[in-house]
Amino acid sequence: MTNKKTRSGGRVAKTSYYATLGPYSLWAMFFILVPLVFVAYYAFTDNNFNFTLEHIQRFFTATSQVIQEDGSSKEVYTYLVIFWRSLKLAVISTLICLVLAYPLAYIMARADAKTQKTFMTIIMIPMWMNFLIRTYAWMTILQDTGILNNFLTFFHLPGVHIIGTEAAVVIGMVYDYLPYMVLPLFSIMAKMDVKLIEAARDLGCNGFGVLRRVIWPLSLPGVINGVTMVLIPSVSTFYISQKLGDGKFFLIGDAIESQYVANNLHFAAAMAFILMVVLLVCMGIMQVLTNRHVEGGK
Amino acid sequence: MKKIIELKNITKSFDGEQPVLDNIDLDIYDNEFLTLLGPSGCGKTTLLRLIGGFETPDSGDIIFLGDRINDVPPYKRNVNTVFQKYALFPHLNVFDNVAFPLREKKVPKEEIEAKVHEMLSLVALKGFEKRSVTRLSGGQQQRVAIARALVAHPQVLLLDEPLGALDLKLRKDMQVELKKIQKQTGITFIFVTHDQEEALSMSDTVVVMSEGKIHQIGTPVDIYNEPVNAFVADFIGESNILDGVMLEDYKVRFSGQTFQCLDKEFMKNEPVDVVVRPEDVDIVPVEKGQLIGVVTSVTFLGVHYEIIVDVNGFKWMIQTTDFVDVDERIGIVLEPDAIHIMKKSEYSNLYGDYSSFSNELDELSELEEEDEDE
Repeated sequence: MTNKKTRSGGRVAKTSYYATLGPYSLWAMFFILVPLVFVAYYAFTDNNFNFTLEHIQRFFTATSQVIQEDGSSKEVYTYLVIFWRSLKLAVISTLICLVLAYPLAYIMARADAKTQKTFMTIIMIPMWMNFLIRTYAWMTILQDTGILNNFLTFFHLPGVHIIGTEAAVVIGMVYDYLPYMVLPLFSIMAKMDVKLIEAARDLGCNGFGVLRRVIWPLSLPGVINGVTMVLIPSVSTFYISQKLGDGKFFLIGDAIESQYVANNLHFAAAMAFILMVVLLVCMGIMQVLTNRHVEGGK
Repeated sequence: MKKIIELKNITKSFDGEQPVLDNIDLDIYDNEFLTLLGPSGCGKTTLLRLIGGFETPDSGDIIFLGDRINDVPPYKRNVNTVFQKYALFPHLNVFDNVAFPLREKKVPKEEIEAKVHEMLSLVALKGFEKRSVTRLSGGQQQRVAIARALVAHPQVLLLDEPLGALDLKLRKDMQVELKKIQKQTGITFIFVTHDQEEALSMSDTVVVMSEGKIHQIGTPVDIYNEPVNAFVADFIGESNILDGVMLEDYKVRFSGQTFQCLDKEFMKNEPVDVVVRPEDVDIVPVEKGQLIGVVTSVTFLGVHYEIIVDVNGFKWMIQTTDFVDVDERIGIVLEPDAIHIMKKSEYSNLYGDYSSFSNELDELSELEEEDEDE
């Protein structure tokens, strides 16, 4: 539908339409397309810029020894383990974000304008603070002698060890990326026609039925947007994992950063390239699945 | 006839404002086509939503086949609604929209297919099963909405100004079709509209409302011929409403003349409102007229002329098939059955004089009304 509109709009004033598009095309070209080409170019070349698959291969085959809890050591695929861990934590964080944001977005969408504004501000406020400061704040909260544990001991409850666990990393990511899930969900739910919900109730749906058969399918495009906007930055997240994971949970973002810092540009590019391809494939599959669902009427 | 819904002393207001519904009593019978008619803001849609279960009354009872259903949620009521803007599910195709209530009831697949096809042929939409509802015309969407609301065989169908968004020709067709569907299915229809013509042409019973009150309940013929007060007389069709005095039974005096009429049982010399429909006025040569007036405007409307005649300062509207010219002096004769007498009410003197009449103004105010409904 949107496509049709732009197309017919373009027909009216084609020249001026392309004229306004020009600068943005240039921008996209130099700052998005060209860097992507460079990433790919670096990924498939060696230090002398000769074609090679060495870096791609290294990602899939490099191994290292890890010492297990019982003291014995075990050989694992270094980067595949890191990649798998990144993906796992990102998916967990994304799902938690979705579960938290979905009801919130629904409540906001049905609230009056003033309440909506208040909620929106509360959600946005953390984004005004620098991301490093936010991460340090969570460190002070989660540390073994941090605010959370002080609070628990005050009420004579057993303390918890969170810092340096995967849970801490997930908490940090959820906190950072939650707004990116709430906003697209809110915008799609605010547009939803209340009459459709009434119609569903009229036609025999109880509360859960309305959610399952009307609200959820109609909100899917928002869910996809939200998931994309949370999943992608959390897969490639770094720093949060270093600080809240106490350096124990190297993620793919950390790996890329450390290779880059160590001036292994080609290998860093190879990892970035693989990550990108995997994400593109994931998003593509999701898009196809939801298109089939959303446009079920055609 | 069996009472299917009884509304008892229903009062409803929003946010502590002026009540939208003020002590409403209404009995709705099985198998009837009942229309709630009134200007926008009269509470007719709220009344419909109360029956549908989308609102609860502040006080009073809604009785459905003997059971009080004030607090029964919509999905447990054997009542379905055709919404004003249809409210079709955009993510489902025609078939799935119509099948929606059956799937919720876990009806077996073969039965769903059979029932949906039956409904789609009832509304003349066979062959549209796979079509996306977003690619249907207004009239087709309307039909899908009706099929969807009827497929689960509710005992009562509520229709909230369902024809408002259609153009005139389509609206006329749908009126006939709705009436036919109601006869075929035997389901009680409760229809909300502000269009008096629609109400008269389709209904078994018309309920005229304004400002949260019911003015009159009756058959279309009763409502038109025997309006209870000046509001109803003015709202249903065109009427000339004059101040009169009931001299004795069958004798009324207005416009300086005494007329024979068919009404009785008023007090001697009781002031009354006199209603004369524009089509009941006979135009005669001046010397034969009971009243004499000057034509001030003539509008050709196809089947007849609509003329405004000034009789001693009061402007009458008359519909006639004979051509008369502006500034012509004409005589007027009123047969006894052309005159309807009403008791005085709070609406007296508010309506029924055509001195400020203009077709254009009428259309403008109609447009505004439609906007308000949005």
